[in-house]
Amino acid sequence: MREEQLRTETEPREELRSNEAERGAYSSAEHHRVTGRRARKVEGGVFFPKPENAVTVAVSSRVLFRTELEQRVFEQKGVEEYLRYQIEHENEPFAPGPAFPFVKALETVNARLRELYPQSEELFDIVLVTYNHAHVGIRLINTINHHNLFIERFCMTGGSSPIGYLKAWQTNLYLSADADKVREALAEGIAAATMFMTEKLTEVSESQLRVAFDGDAVLFSDESERIFKAHGLDKFFQHEQDNEDTLLDHGPLKGFLEALGKLQKKFYAKGQRLDCPIRTYLVTARSAASSGIRALKTLRAWGLEIDEALFLAGAPKGPMLEKIRPHIYFDDQMFHVEGAAEMGTVAAHVPYGVAQKHNQPQKPGARK
Amino acid sequence: MEMVSTVQNTDVKQSLQKVNERLLEKNPAESLLFDVVLIATDSQQQSSRIISSTSHYGLEVGRFCFSSREDLVETLVVNNVQLFLSTDRDEALQVSQKGVLSALLGRQEAPSESLRVMLCGDAIVRPDCDPVPASRGAAQSFSARLGEMRGRFGVSGSPLSIVLVTSSGGSKSCGVALQTLRSRGLSVDEAYCLAGAPRGPILSLLRPHFLLGDGVIDLED
Repeated sequence: MREEQLRTETEPREELRSNEAERGAYSSAEHHRVTGRRARKVEGGVFFPKPENAVTVAVSSRVLFRTELEQRVFEQKGVEEYLRYQIEHENEPFAPGPAFPFVKALETVNARLRELYPQSEELFDIVLVTYNHAHVGIRLINTINHHNLFIERFCMTGGSSPIGYLKAWQTNLYLSADADKVREALAEGIAAATMFMTEKLTEVSESQLRVAFDGDAVLFSDESERIFKAHGLDKFFQHEQDNEDTLLDHGPLKGFLEALGKLQKKFYAKGQRLDCPIRTYLVTARSAASSGIRALKTLRAWGLEIDEALFLAGAPKGPMLEKIRPHIYFDDQMFHVEGAAEMGTVAAHVPYGVAQKHNQPQKPGARK
Repeated sequence: MEMVSTVQNTDVKQSLQKVNERLLEKNPAESLLFDVVLIATDSQQQSSRIISSTSHYGLEVGRFCFSSREDLVETLVVNNVQLFLSTDRDEALQVSQKGVLSALLGRQEAPSESLRVMLCGDAIVRPDCDPVPASRGAAQSFSARLGEMRGRFGVSGSPLSIVLVTSSGGSKSCGVALQTLRSRGLSVDEAYCLAGAPRGPILSLLRPHFLLGDGVIDLED
């Protein structure tokens, strides 16, 4: 397979560099990086994991890259002009979007997994799923190459719903800028979350993937939240205490935490527990002394290990998240997503459960 | 453009007809149209049944041809056929090996608004791996004509959709396929890069009316 070699050919980068300078959207360190192109050759063939063995993460082009300018062209001038614009700017790569650091971290984990298990297909498989028209395809592929991303699978559906393809790829997590598509995915039982571009982004680790989850209505069902919303805090505490030994029902992101745990165990099996490149966090408004116990018991009963559990007892999540610096934080409440974003954490909204009736994004344009 | 089918696949013919209708709407003097010839290789007894059922479905089949299996290729060449459609894998392969472009018809009922033509990008990217080199020239000129036809319509609401699928190879090779097709004048609407993933689940979602390129492949993988 000559394919992998093609990537190391010198491509006309000069044009790309001058455009980068104009856009000023990302650090110049990006294009000076000379990474060994992952030649994933296994006995002469190119090695792509089977979807059922891999942990498939589907991302849309609007969260992987920054496409606000192009979105405006689409909204203001229509689809034909939008496509013409994209083709005209085909050799200008997009800047990284909110999901970019997360995807890079997934690739870091893959590199470590391949070192330990060269034949294994239990890896992250990143698929670009966009309802963009294939006319944008060349620009997207150029951008993928420019950023040295290892994304070999994609679906450009040209306008029709990508949900069917998510199922066909056995997607474990779907990230999109479009809340409707995310809701559709959740309804089909696929873990999904909406991502937003933030102006402030704190630096995250380049060697360890960190994923943080809210508890209720994310890892767990929204049953306790319902009680809280309907009957208030006291009733909530009482209910949790009474039901301490009853497991909570699972939430939409439980499966993804499970998938992360499976990969973590592969590192533990090779004696790399302390140096594990995956770390998971529970960041919940529950309190350690009381309602938190039920959450921990539930996780334990599910056989899921979470590396750190942070019980905030109702305190704001932003500062805590700023300390742990996850690549992504999942929460069902826009209030927390925005709070996290204000402090530079990439937060993704899971539009699930009772909180959605009360959810109103505080900032205009937050939904997109 | 001559397209020939051995099967009464009414769905495909209706979609082809729809494309012709829309082309003529835009330009009543349009000459780049689909011309469908129904060819029957069964016995002559079938002929009246075919003709009557064709008019029953209101299908404007331009011509009927009755040929024997042995004479099939010659019949196609004599009639200047640009594309031969069949559900019979062996028949299609045989024909393409003699230099006439052939494609397999989609097996499932595809009740879609537009005619969905699927192109397999792998042979485009690595022509030396093309299992049927004989029909490569025919494939290129057909895709150029198809591109011309597609170009008559806008991005949305087109009665004709071009779908590119690459099975092996990564995103870069799909990019090469997109660029190659564009240089031949064929713009693609949807693109799927499978990079080794099983084709079946994706194909059943894509519901192409027919599949071009890649020699002849199984539609159900």
